[in-house]
Amino acid sequence: MVKAIRGTLVKCDASVKAMLVDIDSKHRNEFIIEDLDEEHVLVKETKVAQFKAMLQNMMKEKLKEPELSDSDD
Amino acid sequence: MSGSSSEQAYEYLVLLPRQTHTKLYEQPSTVLAVFRCMLPHLAKTIVMAMLYMPTPFSAVDLEAWFRPEGKSVKDKALSALERLHIIQAKQDATRHMHYELSKGFANSLRQALTGGGTHRSFGVPSSTPDPNKVDTEFLDAYARKQWENILFYMVGSTVGLASSAQLSQDIGLGTKKLLEMGNFVQVRSGRVSITREGFTFVLQETNAQVWSLLIVYLRHTPELGMSETDVLSFLFMLGSLELGQDYTTSTLSETQLQMLEDLSAFGIVYRSSKNAATFYPTRLAVTLTSDAGALSTSDSLSSISASRSSSQQGFIIVETNYRLYAYTNSLLQISILSLFTKLTTRFPNLVSGKLTKESITRAVKLGISSSQILSYLTSHAHPQMQKHQPFLPPTVMDQIRLWEYEGERVETTPGFLMRDFKSWDEYRDLKEYAESLGVLVWHHDEKRWFFVNGVDQLSLYMKKKVTRGGE
Repeated sequence: MVKAIRGTLVKCDASVKAMLVDIDSKHRNEFIIEDLDEEHVLVKETKVAQFKAMLQNMMKEKLKEPELSDSDD
Repeated sequence: MSGSSSEQAYEYLVLLPRQTHTKLYEQPSTVLAVFRCMLPHLAKTIVMAMLYMPTPFSAVDLEAWFRPEGKSVKDKALSALERLHIIQAKQDATRHMHYELSKGFANSLRQALTGGGTHRSFGVPSSTPDPNKVDTEFLDAYARKQWENILFYMVGSTVGLASSAQLSQDIGLGTKKLLEMGNFVQVRSGRVSITREGFTFVLQETNAQVWSLLIVYLRHTPELGMSETDVLSFLFMLGSLELGQDYTTSTLSETQLQMLEDLSAFGIVYRSSKNAATFYPTRLAVTLTSDAGALSTSDSLSSISASRSSSQQGFIIVETNYRLYAYTNSLLQISILSLFTKLTTRFPNLVSGKLTKESITRAVKLGISSSQILSYLTSHAHPQMQKHQPFLPPTVMDQIRLWEYEGERVETTPGFLMRDFKSWDEYRDLKEYAESLGVLVWHHDEKRWFFVNGVDQLSLYMKKKVTRGGE
């Protein structure tokens, strides 16, 4: 029988997906319902906002951006 | 974000239960409005064909009208009709499928097309001449002023351009409350700030804005003790009225009289006083159910096509070094620009500034998307800019997109994952149906999985298939 699973499709590039999977495994897999392919994962609808916030934090830690100065102002 | 205004109204309408639809279809004006602006063209053709048909229309005969390659268009049209409960698919004793036009809808549409009846659903013009008659120019100015006040309230107070005291007089408490309920603005400790939904709202064309606000209004009618059906049929009636004509309020119901007050605060109708026996629809009202742009917006927001055809030309110049010059003195335009631009100088007829990473990411954080910014800049590009194709310097366009992408690395779509199909054919059939409905977001043929952002039509389809399978 066909199953319909409620959730939120998250589309991202492969590097971001690796981070998402990493976060998920550190939190007893409470976010990801299903790993779909290299660029898509299915996430629990109620946890999306929290998941995104954690991703933002992780990116801030890992990717230090060079400060851009608006010198020609 | 839905592009066309009627699309939004359609999305709202399909969610209503069947009883509400049935009640709505009692009014010829409602039926005509639904027919005119909610249905795809093919659906109109099907309805017209069935309108004077004495017997139900067999599905096999309908099928014969279409070439195989037209299947997806046909499915879309039929699904729209079924969701609005305009046609019903039924099975007769011999287990053949046939379609039937809903009785109430058919009756009302016939009445609307051929006239007759005493339904008075198209408004009753006032019989006594109005001593304070107003002309269309006045009505346009009134509608524009009211509407721009609402927009300015949302944008202006966010960027802190407006002196809030002056604003609070201009727009009513009810309107403010409504904007808050619709989640277009947030009020935190007395300070008003715009939300993600609010941005989308402000950047839409006027007609779509009107519908967005009215839909919020509709959602909250039960709390105000009004009947949703009454409100909706009144709105559809407004769409069929004539600009510059005054209509009597004596035929309106209690709810509709109450509505008039709110609608005049939005600038959708005009009344000379609170107790006037007549009301005038403004251009915002009469374009509710047409796709023509509302308000010949000379200085307000409008869609790309509308702004090009209007006499007012674009006023924004963007240079390859990200500097931006805008020839405008409208406070509304300036405050919108300042949402995503670092404005530095203001002259009597010009403001100048710069698109910076900081200003764009701030806008993105507030919920405005790069495509919205670009479409705003493109549609208001200065005639000098319009000599080049594309109007904006490509480097600037790319950079704005990249700035957005840096902040927003994932794209989310709520919906349903469909899996565990028994056979390849079952998978392909349902996937193709989902594709033709336009709900298919992602699919993986090897796993036989796919993801849709709407499931109710699919489950209907599957149920139908199960019953058909029992033949």
